[in-house]
Amino acid sequence: MKKERFLIGIDVGGTFTDVMCYELATNRLLTAKVPSLPGAQWRGVVEAIGALGIDKGAVTGFVHGTTIATNSLLERKGAKTGVVTTEGFRDVLEIGGTRRLIGGLFDIKFQRPPPLASREVRLEAPERIAADGSVLKAIDGFDFGPLVEHFRKNDVKAIAVCFLNAYVNDANERAAGAALRKLMPGTPISESAAVTRERGEFERFSTCVINSYLTPTMAAYLDTLTAALETAGVTAPVNIMGSNGGAMTLDNARGYVVNTFLSGPVGGVTGSVGICRLAGIDDCITFDMGGTSTDVALVHDLKPRISHSNQIEAHPLKVPQLDIHTIGAGGGSIVWMQPDGTLEIGPQSAGAVPGPACYQRGGTQPTISDANLILGRLPTERSLSGGLVLSKPLAEKAFQDLAKKIGADDIVRLADGALRIAVAKMAGAVREVSVHRGFDPRDFALVGFGGAGPMHAFNVAEELAIGRVVIPRFPGHLSALGQLLSDHRHDSVRAWGGRVGEIDPAAVARQFGEMQKQGEARLTADGFTRDGIQHQFSADVRYVGQSFTLAAPWQASDGSLQPLKEAFIRRHEETFGYADPHNDAEIVNLRVVSLGIVRKPILNFAPEESGDPLIEHHKVYFEGGWVECPIYNRARMAVGLELFGPMVIEESGGTSVVPPSWRIKVHPSGALICEHEGYE
Amino acid sequence: MKDLVTLELIRESLIAVVHEMRANIIHASFSSIIYEGHDFSCAILTPDGRQIAQSNDDHPIHIFAVPYSTREVARTFAGDIHEGDIFLHNDPYTGGTHLNDVLMLTPVFVGGHLVMFAAARCHWGDVGGMAAGSLSGQVREIIQEGMRVVPTRIAEKGVLNEAFLDLLFNNMRNPQERRGDFNTMLGTGRKAAVHVGRLFRRFGPETMLGGIEELIRRSDRQMRTRIAALPDGDYFAEGFVESDGHGGGPLVGRLKLSIRGEELIADLTGSSPQTNGPTNFGPAMARNSVGTMVKSFLDPRTPINHGSFMPIKVIAPEGSFLNARAPVPCGGMAEVKYMLDGVVAAALGQAVQEFMVGDNRGSANHTTIAGPNRRGDGMFILYEYPAGGTGASHGTDGSNVLRCFGEGDFNSIQSSEVVEFSNPIRIERCELREGSCGDGEFRGGLGLRRDYRLLSPQGTLSLLTDHNLIPPYGVKGGMSGGGNRFVVVRDGQEVQPSAVPGKVSDFPLKAGDIVRAETAGGGGWGDPLTRDPERVARDSRLGYITQAQAKARFGVVLLDGFKVDAGATRKEREQLRAQRVELALQLANTEEPKTARRMVPLAPQVAQRLGIRDGDMVELTNRRGPSVRGWARVSDEADGGSLRLGAAALALLDGKPGERIEVRVLRAMPL
Repeated sequence: MKKERFLIGIDVGGTFTDVMCYELATNRLLTAKVPSLPGAQWRGVVEAIGALGIDKGAVTGFVHGTTIATNSLLERKGAKTGVVTTEGFRDVLEIGGTRRLIGGLFDIKFQRPPPLASREVRLEAPERIAADGSVLKAIDGFDFGPLVEHFRKNDVKAIAVCFLNAYVNDANERAAGAALRKLMPGTPISESAAVTRERGEFERFSTCVINSYLTPTMAAYLDTLTAALETAGVTAPVNIMGSNGGAMTLDNARGYVVNTFLSGPVGGVTGSVGICRLAGIDDCITFDMGGTSTDVALVHDLKPRISHSNQIEAHPLKVPQLDIHTIGAGGGSIVWMQPDGTLEIGPQSAGAVPGPACYQRGGTQPTISDANLILGRLPTERSLSGGLVLSKPLAEKAFQDLAKKIGADDIVRLADGALRIAVAKMAGAVREVSVHRGFDPRDFALVGFGGAGPMHAFNVAEELAIGRVVIPRFPGHLSALGQLLSDHRHDSVRAWGGRVGEIDPAAVARQFGEMQKQGEARLTADGFTRDGIQHQFSADVRYVGQSFTLAAPWQASDGSLQPLKEAFIRRHEETFGYADPHNDAEIVNLRVVSLGIVRKPILNFAPEESGDPLIEHHKVYFEGGWVECPIYNRARMAVGLELFGPMVIEESGGTSVVPPSWRIKVHPSGALICEHEGYE
Repeated sequence: MKDLVTLELIRESLIAVVHEMRANIIHASFSSIIYEGHDFSCAILTPDGRQIAQSNDDHPIHIFAVPYSTREVARTFAGDIHEGDIFLHNDPYTGGTHLNDVLMLTPVFVGGHLVMFAAARCHWGDVGGMAAGSLSGQVREIIQEGMRVVPTRIAEKGVLNEAFLDLLFNNMRNPQERRGDFNTMLGTGRKAAVHVGRLFRRFGPETMLGGIEELIRRSDRQMRTRIAALPDGDYFAEGFVESDGHGGGPLVGRLKLSIRGEELIADLTGSSPQTNGPTNFGPAMARNSVGTMVKSFLDPRTPINHGSFMPIKVIAPEGSFLNARAPVPCGGMAEVKYMLDGVVAAALGQAVQEFMVGDNRGSANHTTIAGPNRRGDGMFILYEYPAGGTGASHGTDGSNVLRCFGEGDFNSIQSSEVVEFSNPIRIERCELREGSCGDGEFRGGLGLRRDYRLLSPQGTLSLLTDHNLIPPYGVKGGMSGGGNRFVVVRDGQEVQPSAVPGKVSDFPLKAGDIVRAETAGGGGWGDPLTRDPERVARDSRLGYITQAQAKARFGVVLLDGFKVDAGATRKEREQLRAQRVELALQLANTEEPKTARRMVPLAPQVAQRLGIRDGDMVELTNRRGPSVRGWARVSDEADGGSLRLGAAALALLDGKPGERIEVRVLRAMPL
């Protein structure tokens, strides 16, 4: 067996492709950053690996976070997709629940965006399954020839088979899929229940159609990528980050594109979990702030929250994803005046080109980065990573123009105000993933990363009275690091259950047992051995008569369903403000997460440079006043070093702005663990 | 400057409270109409009932009425509201909508002072009354629509009035489910109070209260600026509720909308008196309708609060069906409200031409199918209110089967799989209603066709709908959409469940019966003969219309189904144009009609050309605005070349004597 030498994680962002490489022999982490190439993500990947300067043949592990699925859907660049569906349900995609789904209140000219599969290629087949799973009309013997002919004539390149009630019995879907595969070899065909086995035809059909729509694009990308890697000498098997926070094999990514939408941002969450695990922190909220957007997610007991109902624009997507909430506010977001005279931030962003005014690339509109510069929080003397030198006069000019419009006279206060509004927005995103899901953010540590995360994390924490902030080492590369820390993962769900007071606990154990076997089989096929596989069990539970459910854990050793019911009642009271002792609870779905455990980097950190970490002092604006403030170089901060805010810590790929009242300490993992002096 | 930032923070924080309340209700409630349909809304109000915050997911129909109810509660219990009190209300005559919409008000106290009310108004699946689901078309008094709760204190200093609640729930179907919804609202109010308390501590009471007043002042200012930008003038429009449910009708809503400087006055004088059918609404709703439309036309983007409505004055005569008094039913308040929305939009569209828009479905389409449940321990009540196509506007075709711009973003139908899983019902079709669009240069959206088959041995059907006979209007020469249509299919034959289309109470269903709901298409914009032929070809390719309809309705001749034959199309369009019946307007010396029906005098030869008889409905196209509807009065006195109308009718048409306008048949469904 070949000796394992390098593990690689690669994250392709809108502006840069970040790579992190772990050398197993030395426990060393290497990073590199190259510009992303729009339309050719694979080239950034190959160039980034090249930039590491390592022996490419010695790369033995490779995980890649890609935004192909998201971009292709948003730009509508998927394949022409045909649908075969139950008689009478041809228009499910075009009707849904009759909701607009993307705003539109008071908008007289609102138009529903067209569905991904056009009506003339949505065809009906004679079949029907009843709600109890019985077959009312079997599809066997149906001649798909004319349908296939119609698809060919209309240049259909992918097919989705979407039958009503297939979530309870998928026999007709499978039969139709098999028949179509025979007639159209090479054409990707997805069946709704195989993509996601949940009740609710609109969401399931939509998910299935998205899968078909994107399969050709994803397959082409992965083919190009693997060929290019091979040419470059990388022979390690390629794994793709999945939206559920686990890695997936190339074949799985090809067959289930719907599981890759969060392939990019999940890495940061997994990376945060890795750092928090080392630091002994079980509960954290991840705060990944980039140039145009901010991604926020909640981690409880070292497990990221999962959301089972998602939506991309007006398209429902019913697959498990990390519950990442994204808002359109980042370092490049533009500050502007609303019609009623109040300030607003984003969602328009200056992007990388022209970029914030201070980038000196032609941007004239004031942005969050310009505000930070005016307040002394970004360096003007030293270049940022990528050789960028910032211009203070240009930032000031942009804010002066805005001040004139608003009738303000003090651009420092205006910049401070803009930051406070941005921080309030980001605090709103944190509230969304915590308060709105029944968690108190004060019980969590805030992990700040991404290019702009460490600059705002402390203010966001203060806004929510969060007393602990973690800034990982290499905050600009945390997503790539997270990919190195990701186990392989399969999620399975069964719509099975009944009232807790009425069902046999042994039957629950049997169901879970079967699901466990299936998970094991899939991971074994991916190359894992039995002792490298773990399973987690949970049930979706609600009070009888409710619709929405809360997750409650189950363990084989429980014996009865009492622990599960008690966990549910506790969660219900926390989340909704009451519990109902008179009502029975009801299990709706069973869920199993199967993990294939991979070898991970050991994160013990030493400063890359020696010497005094203090660079200089200068004035920084904090809470209504200028403060003479030390500026540190993070690359020289040794493990165990303890400092008190205010301070600014500079490093390649991210600047941390630590306000007064915060005490920071360098953890052996390299992360800064920061505590607020004023909170309990 | 600092104030601007603080203001923004206060506003965002309060909207965040509303979002949190909403999430709570969706996830914990028991009525499918709440968790699936999202038929509920939340808001924060001042102690004197002025609205401070709502979210963009809340439904104007609920929420713009909440301030009225809150003022009634505040007035009833003035000086006697304490921490731990909770109030319940659903009475239409004091600010409610219909009885199913139950409002819970939780007073929020900070430092011993009442600072705000947290409001949640949820549609309960049943509140008692004569028919399962409580909403039905043939009620005669409000008692038949369920339990009426005038402003009532249901918890005093933290202690719930259990006797009152027992009485309430014991008079509703599925009381366990109602209790669940009630508990959900209770928990939501509690959490909102805690959250608001935190905000007061953070900003300080003075900054908080001062900030709220400033936000209201700014919204008022903003709306005044928008109104002032319109030319002063009067705009006229009218619309119909087609029946009171008992065969009487129609009811007319007549509007004179006046712009006077910074103020807007909506005068509904001349509208029909209240009736003993379900299509009435109480004193909060006319303002609700005008407010929703004005917001949409003049200031759709900025967040809403009380200030947005301060420059608006609404005159709704007491005792009319637009401002009803006890004891008439109000279950069909949405039917009335959507009709009035269409009337206000018709008037505002004349003032803001770029937003002139075809009418929407004009009805909530309350559809309730009920019967014994599968477990045999109670009943199932399936309640849906299917949407239709939306209206077209300049440059924009309407959307198919979609909640329209003046409505909260609710699911109006449930997932078919969920319906089949939870009820003894099989959904046999859920598809676009082909051909139902209102034609135009830009066409309205298509309506829905949905078939429900009853699997249990027996059941009942109740309907409360409108615009079955008088469909959504088109504008600027655009055609009407197809009207709503509800029938029962028994053994392959269509059966009318009542003598009055779309208004039914407890029609008995048998096993195997199909309830077929067909909803309205949106009204069209502009002359259909000027629609881009390529768009017509596309509609035909998608199966929205047939090839024959492309020719008959748009004058577009298609080859092989989808290819435009330009030459034949030109000829066909010329021919269709020549067949139109156009008459010259003349001013007649007639009074405004005392009844709802607007009569259109037509000579017998004109009636013959149109293929209609005396009393049939016609519409007069209006190049500048919505078509005007009327009833043909065929008489030898009318002359064959002109159309003699009174001054009021001319004002509706914004027409001058001598101008030629088209008269056409008003059909419930396009041919």
